Parts: sequence; C-alpha cells; structure tokens
Amino acid sequence: MLTVEGLRAWGANVDEGLGRCLKNETFYLTLVKKAIQDPAFEKLNETCGSGNLDGAFEAAHALKGVMGNLALTPILDPVIKITELLRARTVTDYGPLLTEITSARDQVLALAE
Amino acid sequence: MTDRKRMHSIPDMEAEGRKRLVLIVEDDFVNREILKANMQQEYEILCAETGREAREKIHGYSDTLSLILLDLNLPDLNGLDLLRELKKDMDLSKIPVIVLTADTESEVESLTSGASDFIPKPYPRQEIIMARARRCIELSENRDLIRWTERDQLTGLFNRDYFARYAEQYDHYHRRDPADALVLDISHFRMMNERFGKAYCDDVLRRIGAELFAFVKENGGIACRWGADTFQIYCPHREDYSALAARVAAAASGSAEGRVHIRIGVNPNVDKTGDMERRFDRAKSAADTIRNSLTESVAYYNDDLRQKELDAGQLLDDFRGALAEKQFLVYFQPKYNIQGPKPVLCGAEALVRWKHPEKGMVSPGTFIPLFEHNGLIRELDNYVWREAAQQIRRWKDQLGRSVPVSVNVSRIDMLDPDLTETLCGLIRDNGLDFKDLHLEITESAYTEDSDQIKNIVAGLRNQGFKIEMDDFGSGYSSLNMIITLPIDLLKLDMGFIRSAFSENGDTGMLKIMMDIAGYLSVPMIAEGVETKEQMLTLKDLGCDIIQGYYFSRPVPAEEFEKFIIQEGNEKC
Repeated sequence: MLTVEGLRAWGANVDEGLGRCLKNETFYLTLVKKAIQDPAFEKLNETCGSGNLDGAFEAAHALKGVMGNLALTPILDPVIKITELLRARTVTDYGPLLTEITSARDQVLALAE
Repeated sequence: MTDRKRMHSIPDMEAEGRKRLVLIVEDDFVNREILKANMQQEYEILCAETGREAREKIHGYSDTLSLILLDLNLPDLNGLDLLRELKKDMDLSKIPVIVLTADTESEVESLTSGASDFIPKPYPRQEIIMARARRCIELSENRDLIRWTERDQLTGLFNRDYFARYAEQYDHYHRRDPADALVLDISHFRMMNERFGKAYCDDVLRRIGAELFAFVKENGGIACRWGADTFQIYCPHREDYSALAARVAAAASGSAEGRVHIRIGVNPNVDKTGDMERRFDRAKSAADTIRNSLTESVAYYNDDLRQKELDAGQLLDDFRGALAEKQFLVYFQPKYNIQGPKPVLCGAEALVRWKHPEKGMVSPGTFIPLFEHNGLIRELDNYVWREAAQQIRRWKDQLGRSVPVSVNVSRIDMLDPDLTETLCGLIRDNGLDFKDLHLEITESAYTEDSDQIKNIVAGLRNQGFKIEMDDFGSGYSSLNMIITLPIDLLKLDMGFIRSAFSENGDTGMLKIMMDIAGYLSVPMIAEGVETKEQMLTLKDLGCDIIQGYYFSRPVPAEEFEKFIIQEGNEKC
C-alpha cells in the first residue's frame, strides 16, 4: 500500500509535495497513484526509441511538471536531465536515463501494490 | 462582453458574497487538481483540458471570468497562440491571464504576448499562487474601473475626454515619429437611425469600434468614439487610408440591412506644434469636403483646404468691422407677377453682398454658410432686415410708393426669443405695414424642428407678416405637414427649375409642384428664371410670380428704384 512514509523512504520530497496538496495525505497519495500511471511514460519510451525527439520532448516536459509538483525526486531528477537534452534535440543514447526513469517509476508502482 | 457587463459583475459578486470565477486551462490531471485544490476556497473554479474547450468556456463565461490560468502545452493548441488570440479581442483581452510554465524562456514570451504574470512549475507555495492571482484580479478590476470612466460604453474605445489626454501622451512618447489625425463618420447617420432604428445603429457603431480597435492594435495609435457617429484616430503616419475605409465600411455593413457609407478625413503628418484639437479640426474639414459623395470615402487635408480655412478665418475676423463700416450691401432682386397679360412688379427679395476692402465682392455662397456655422448669421440677418426696412421707408418717402420686400429668416434666427419683437420693432420704427416685409423661411427649418418652428412662424403670421416658404421641394416635407403649416407663398427650390430646363429636362415635376400650390391656394414663386422660354413655360404651368435674371439680377437700391418708378409710370 502506498504511504507517505514509503514514498519518503523511496526518496520523494514528501513535505514539499504535501505542501502543494494542502498537507492532505489522502489527496497527495491519490495524485501520486494517478501520476505514475501517466501515459507520458510510455510515450517517452516510444518516441525516444523511434527517434521522434519532438514527441519525446513533449512527453518529458509533461512529466517534469507533474513529477516536480508531487516532488517525486527519484523520477524528477532523470526527467529534468532528459528534458534538457531533448530540448536541445541532442542526438545521444537516451537508454540509461530512460532505464533510470522506468526503474524509479516501477519502484513506486511496487509500493502502490 | 462589454465593460458595462463586467463592471456590473464585480460589485454584484461582492454584494452577493459570490466567489470570483477562475478558469484553469491545464491538460494534466495532477497539475490541474493541485491548482484547483489550492484555489477553490477563495474562487469558483472552472476547468478546461484542451485549447478548444478553453476557448469555448472563455467565450461562454466572458462576462464573469475574473482570471485565466493557462498552461502553454495543450494537446490541441499552443497556449501562447490562444493567449495572443485573446489579447487581440477587444472584450476578451480585458480578462487577465496567468501562464503556467516550467520554462524560463516561455515566461518572457508569455509576458510579451500579454500575460499578466506567470506561475512556475513545480508550483510555488499556496500563498504565492494566491497572492499572484489576487494581484492580477485586483489590477484588472482597478483597470476596469478606470476603463469605466475613460471608455465609451457602447464601443469600448476611449471617450472624447480621455482620448485627448492619451493622444498627448502618445505624442510624448513618439515625439519624432510622424503621426496622422483622422476623423471618421457615417454618411446620413440620422437617416439610418430613423430607417433602421437605434438597436441596429448601435450595432453598426459597435462593429466600427471593434474594427478601429483592431486597426490601432495592429498599426499602433489610439482611437475614440468622439460622439454619435464620429470617431477619431491618432496613429503613425501612412500614405493611404483607403484600405482602412474599406475594412471599416465592410465591418459596418455586416448585416444585410444595407450598405453603410463611411467617410474619413485625414490630416496627414500633423504639425505637432499645433494643439490637438486643431489637428482633428483639420481632419474634419477634409471629411466635410466629401460630405455628399457616395464614391469617395477618404479625403486628405491639404494646402488648398488650409488656404480656404485661412480665408474663412479672415472673413470671420473681419465680420464685425464690416458690419460697423457697412461693407455689407443690401441688393434687391425684383419679383414679377406673370399671370396677367404683362408682367407686373410685385415685390423684391433683399439679398446681401459683401464689398470687402481687400477681397472685393465676396460671394454670399462663401460667407453665409460660414456665418451660419458660427452663429454670426443672426447679426447679419438683423442688419439686412434693418437696412431693408429703412430702404422701404425711403422709397415710400421719396417715390410715394414701394413694393413688398422679402427678407431671409434663418433657422438660427428662430431660436432668438426676441425675434418677433425685433421684427415688429422694425415695422413700428420705420412706420411700415406688416405687408411691406415678407419673411422667407427655408423649408428645411420646418422639417428639422417642425413643432417649435411652426409655432414661432404662426406667431409672426398672426402679427401680420406674410410668410414665404423658401426652397420649397428641397426639404422633403410631407404633403400632410405642408397643409398644416402657416404659409402665404411657396417659393420653388431653384433645383426644380434647373433640372426641368436642363438638356433632358422634364417639366412634369414642376407641374406637380404647381398643383400642390394650387391645392393649398397659395401663390407659387419661381426663382432662378433666366430665359423667356422658362418664364412662358412656368406661366403655362400656373406659376404666379417669377424672380431671376430674366427680369433682373439683384441690384443696389438706387438701381431698383427704376423698377418702381417704371412700374408707377406704366400704371399711370
């Protein structure tokens, strides 16, 4: 079950995220569950894989806003990095960053089970 | 949405304890919900997930929306494009927009595109979000309050008082840039009002206002509704305004009711040392040159007009001196009764001429409209009446007889509360009979303000004056109205004579006019008669009295004496 303590232990800046949710834990956790289901994760993987850097930037940018607001730091940090690379349309191997994002997301999914 | 609606909505909300309405445009559920949660205690929240939905809601709630929070990355539309679209719309542009963005670059672009502020992502503390929202709404409402006083309520453009101030401010910041002053109005607006009604005309004015707002938004400058159907624009100089005239006319004619003719007077590249009022007076002068044209819609102030204005100014300056020095000469043009076997002198019309010491003889066509415009015509008319009355007295004394002399009484004279007393005084002081002085009152004076004028004229007629309706047929009187008017003679508008005797002329209309006079049992006078053929035709049609060059041009009193003496001799 997803808990504030679990997220804190995972590395989320829970106080910051909760602050934006009026310190309402239930509301915060509901939004986190919704956020980790965001189709932008899949879109980011697909577009990076197909070399569609415009599409990838859009997906990364959207994730950056959501993860930032919920302060899900282990996902937010690699998302910020990949967003900046994609903003410059840098041709590089996005694999490691995508893996990092996916792995962090999977950890929250596991916490939510 | 109008300012009026928005202004009413704010105090209404406060009085009723209602919350202000805020629209959150954000496609992401999480971001949207966080903002909503942060704001909903203080505001009523409306949400849109796409650009299209946002556009619909903005239009639907435009009267009551206090703030829009706009995400820039929407699935169907770029938020910046939506922002620019709103800011181009005169009504919607008044709703403040706060942009939600995670990019520093977008912050600058948003502000330059018209956003009032931005909120970064991740969102700052609730207090900061709320402070920014409150500040934007407060500034906007304060601006609305100011707008309420400085804007014309119908069109949303500046009103005349504030326009002058903003025009001066515009100059202050564009000292070296050439600027044009424009006056725009609608041809025959009064007639349009009567034909289509106020609601339609208000709609036309609103559409013109919106088009002018768009014009100054695109090209710089400011615009105002000066009053009724008159607009003013002060903007960066351009060579040609025909495109503006075309787009305003097209917008104004929007509905199927009928084509709206507008005219624009341009004072190009204004002299910035002159005062603001004068710059627009000149534009107005230019517009007046195409007053009756259906083909021209733009006229430019130029050196010719400037010279005419200077000349007019000089005539106005010289007026009082001219009166004192008796430079105004009263001429007399004879009127002949033609119904008998021989024309018989039956009267004269007193006509004024100006013998200017520098300009020579100035045409009445030049100075009379000028004096009518400035109200000086009253003094001039009084002078002519006095001179005419004194001359009748002299003829009576010297020749033992005289003829009735008609004098012009303008519409402005009718507003003089002492009019009857002045005219009666002339009769009394010169020992004349009322039948010696006829009063010519133009038909249009009756139609413009019929009841008031009718009462005044009836009063004069009751005193004993004979009333001639001048320019009959030019003022669009209804037959029904003419029957009720206090008239002793009808004087046919010269236009009928000109057109009846032109190359393809037809005397059919003349016949109708004669029939009307016959029906009313009043004599008809035709002026502007120049040839024997015209005189005979008019006689055949039943015209009673003729005035015109066929008999004589207007002549000085000494010359007119000969007509009286000759008439007397023939009678003997």
